[in-house]
Amino acid sequence: MGRRVRGIISIYQIYRSSIDINQYTRIYLSLPFPRPRWMKSHRSMASIQIPLPLSFGRLPASPRHPRRLRQPVRCAAEERQALFNRIAPLYDNLNDLLSLGQHRVWKRMSVSWSGAKVGDRVLDLCCGSGDLAFLLSEKVGSDGKVFGLDFSKEQLLIASSRQHLHVKRHFSNIEWVEGDAINLPFPDSFFDAITMGYGLRNVVDRERALMEMVRVLKSGSKVSILDFNKSTQPMPSSFRDWMIDNVVVPVASSYGLGKEYEYLKSSINEYLTGPELEKLALQAGFSNAAHYKIGGGIMGNLVAVR
Amino acid sequence: MVRRSVALLRGAAASGLSQTLSEILVCPLSKQPLRVCNKTGSLVSDEIGVSFPIKDGIPCLVPKDGKILEDDDNNVALRSGSPDDPSSTNMV
Repeated sequence: MGRRVRGIISIYQIYRSSIDINQYTRIYLSLPFPRPRWMKSHRSMASIQIPLPLSFGRLPASPRHPRRLRQPVRCAAEERQALFNRIAPLYDNLNDLLSLGQHRVWKRMSVSWSGAKVGDRVLDLCCGSGDLAFLLSEKVGSDGKVFGLDFSKEQLLIASSRQHLHVKRHFSNIEWVEGDAINLPFPDSFFDAITMGYGLRNVVDRERALMEMVRVLKSGSKVSILDFNKSTQPMPSSFRDWMIDNVVVPVASSYGLGKEYEYLKSSINEYLTGPELEKLALQAGFSNAAHYKIGGGIMGNLVAVR
Repeated sequence: MVRRSVALLRGAAASGLSQTLSEILVCPLSKQPLRVCNKTGSLVSDEIGVSFPIKDGIPCLVPKDGKILEDDDNNVALRSGSPDDPSSTNMV
């Protein structure tokens, strides 16, 4: 090929510094041809600077090399996986943006409802990047133990790296497990409390997941399941659908997550209403179940007692 | 007794899995205790003859990720008791 311009940028990487409002993302390109003059250079890599369409506060920097370039990834599959590893924290930040920070309040409420206390052994199902697990960790203290279970390895790695970022706090009481919510790898009557945030809606066999929760919970203990509230009334439903179409999806699309967020509308429509969830929990073996609407009725928290 | 408990700790550490998890986790399918295998860095369910990998200290216990152990010489080490025999767990 020699000097011939290959024409395609073969590898790229996204360099992410701590991103504040009105700052930029700098993309470093490794080009197989000489750098054009209009491109600025940084060491041996050409770079271009593009403004973020919307910023929302600080994103966590890489846990190992906060301000250095990431190593370029080789093949398309690895590249995509690495990209999703990096944007996994974006899910939490999009939650912050789209719920105007309220999701943090709802998660604290959900943890309170679970009845978790100092010294308890608790489980966070579909833990994702660990929001609820970290709240539970503070609640149970160093004598307690938190187990975070999720189907996605990438999310668990993010959660694990977040755990090690905050070494001063007692997050050492958290263990991460990759597993399936409908086949839990824990013994019977093992946990003092279970939480599940925005997970049950995405589980295919919800009754089976609830039955597994009954199995691993100690008698008298509670599960606290936070998710969107599927409203039967037309007004809240159409407002929510409008919000998803005109706010959520465009914002997510600007980060290449449009498709992932388009599913949200049908996912909520396929979910169960509060009374239906209560009935399902009782069917699965819980002795008592109550569904509470929060966040002005957008969210709902099911609390069931073993 | 001290040597055995040290060996246990080393065994759990060698696979990258914490002591707590190695003692607590059960097979997601049979719900029976799992055995840590150091050679392959995996958790073995003897009941159903399946092994689950451990990566970066995180055990992968999704049923579809389990590997069925085949009856051949290569897996003798997996099948037979290792120094981490469950019967010697209560040393501490």
